[in-house]
Amino acid sequence: MNRYVVGGAGVASVVVLMSLTWLFGSFSWALATTVLLSAIGSGYFAYRQFTQKFSAQPATSHAAPEKVASHKVAATASTGNANDSQSLARKMLDQGRYTLLLRPQIAESIPPKLLQRAQAMLDDAMTLVPGGETIVGKGANSSPDLPDHLDGRIVQVEGFYLDRYQVTNEEYFRFVENGGYEQISLWDPEIVPALLDFVDLTGEPGPRFWKNGKYLSGQAQHPVVGVCWYEAAAYARWVGKRLPTDPEWVKSGSWPVPLPGARPIQRKFPWGEAFDQNKCNLWGSGHGGTVPVEKYDEGMSVGGANQLIGNVWEWTSSRFGAWQSSASPLVLDASMRSIRGGAFDTYFETQATCDFQSGDKAVARKRNLGFRCAIGICDLIPDQSMQAEEHPAQVETQEYAEVAQ
Amino acid sequence: MTKRVLVAMDSYRLAECAVPLACYICGTDNNYNTELCRHCAAPLALSHQARTQGVRPQMVAVLGTAAAGKTVYLGMLLDMLTRQNGRVQVLARGAFSITLQQRTMMALSSCRFPEKTPNEPDRWNWVHCQAKVNSKKNPMELIMPDMAGEAILEEIDHPNAYPAIHSFLEKCSAVILLADTDRIERGGAEQNYFLMKLITYLSEQDNRKARGKSTRPVAIVFSKADRCEPCFDNPELYAKEKTPNLWQQVQQRFTNYGFFASGVAGSVGFREEPGEGTSAVPLRIEPRGIVEPFEWLVRKI
Repeated sequence: MNRYVVGGAGVASVVVLMSLTWLFGSFSWALATTVLLSAIGSGYFAYRQFTQKFSAQPATSHAAPEKVASHKVAATASTGNANDSQSLARKMLDQGRYTLLLRPQIAESIPPKLLQRAQAMLDDAMTLVPGGETIVGKGANSSPDLPDHLDGRIVQVEGFYLDRYQVTNEEYFRFVENGGYEQISLWDPEIVPALLDFVDLTGEPGPRFWKNGKYLSGQAQHPVVGVCWYEAAAYARWVGKRLPTDPEWVKSGSWPVPLPGARPIQRKFPWGEAFDQNKCNLWGSGHGGTVPVEKYDEGMSVGGANQLIGNVWEWTSSRFGAWQSSASPLVLDASMRSIRGGAFDTYFETQATCDFQSGDKAVARKRNLGFRCAIGICDLIPDQSMQAEEHPAQVETQEYAEVAQ
Repeated sequence: MTKRVLVAMDSYRLAECAVPLACYICGTDNNYNTELCRHCAAPLALSHQARTQGVRPQMVAVLGTAAAGKTVYLGMLLDMLTRQNGRVQVLARGAFSITLQQRTMMALSSCRFPEKTPNEPDRWNWVHCQAKVNSKKNPMELIMPDMAGEAILEEIDHPNAYPAIHSFLEKCSAVILLADTDRIERGGAEQNYFLMKLITYLSEQDNRKARGKSTRPVAIVFSKADRCEPCFDNPELYAKEKTPNLWQQVQQRFTNYGFFASGVAGSVGFREEPGEGTSAVPLRIEPRGIVEPFEWLVRKI
């Protein structure tokens, strides 16, 4: 481009020079005038370039943020704070953190549509375990002379929701991806100094057997393993839930039937009294590893919790050894937590029953240890669908009252 | 009517008893009716089986210090191989061969470790089994005794103190050496020295026959490795770092060797027994790395 401009200017200068020579009749006067005109022209051009360059630059650099800011202001002004909270609520639903929206403190500020969606997600993903009595610690007393009715302790459990499935790699990945390992508030204060140890095979924060901060391919629906008790508890906090207590876990699997004046009757396995190799993933099943959490749906509990027995052991919030015999107690590490349910490598069926309790150190990150979450009914807003069922009954009662009058 | 019956003549019975039966382990002559060898206390059922069935069983030794986990390893191995159809299948020969498996499994299923193997050879459990490996055409006959750790140590320090061990180690075609990972992790050198002694003893037995390195397959198994996870990742590296003398000795004396890690208990607690001190309690049973060393060994024999 510049080449053509310079060439054009040269041709023009020659034409002007010849015209002025003809006009003044003197070549020297014509040359002097041409040089003067060229100098004035190029000076003016240079001045224009200079002014354009230094006046336009600050103008554009300021203009962009103002534009963005004005867009933001305009968006905020048009939609208000409500939209912000709605988009946050939607994000939480996408992340599977629906229980946070169903908390009484938060539910007030959430639109009913989103609340309904959260309630539907709760119903899909969690099973309701009613409150009542359960026997915990059955078989934990080693004394052979102990009568059956004294074996195990009766514990009162409040109603709660329990995850239908163990927490999967995919679900746990959302926690890792959203900086779960950097949010100190999610972690128990005593474990914060050890957080840097909770890394995967490549040194990235995450479960022990992951690579580059991601689970292995094809294992999205497998239960997350290689997480210690503290990691499980942090995830549960992030998702708005908690780990189930030991009696809660037993109750959800053994589903006790209360009997008036007698100890409740409860199942040995979630599906009944007799062991069935086809209903769970233990050593005898021959998989030699974890399977997707939806498998073995024939072995689900009465309430609809899948794989309570087998696949991976599940962390509970309770300490290990609470139900052991006082005659010869175990000398235990104080950090040992109760685990339940058996895993893919559990050899004996008798060690994978609803009654059987094992334990491991809270910092153990093993290949057969996973978890599922729970939340108390009292921690959530009342279920709208359940309330709706109560209304017709009330109407009927009113009608009956009117008729009676 | 006369009923015809066959009655063995007493004289014939006496003649049968007069024929000596050589012990399959130590070769000492015994009376036909004797149950255990009068010299080494090995069961003569092994000799009867060898004689009547016409097979010559191979011998595999499982060695280690006291409480290294020999009984648990052997019992668990047999139970696993008889319970699931893997690449190696095992069939017990003779009812006496199931006793070890039975006792070990009964204890482990109720969250206890089996009782310590007594020092007396007449109370040891012997296993005679038939092992079928997928890659081999014919099944193998194997004899595997569960010997007491103290007796093994005594025999190494004072050869011929236990004729059963002496004869067995001389004849055995493969060896599984158990090293207690728990004790290694606690910093004790006992395992290191015991295994060095054992390796020296075994290689010298072989060197009497031929000079140079021993070709007898040896599997060094770090037992109770569930208490030290890195051991499972690379047992040889673990041996190199934690038991360098042992690692060196094995390399210099054997040509066929392999390092393995195994564990049976998923987690362990401890119980104070009145008058007996602290005993370990398996909180659950999760076998790992049990079959691999055996399978490797059987292929090498």
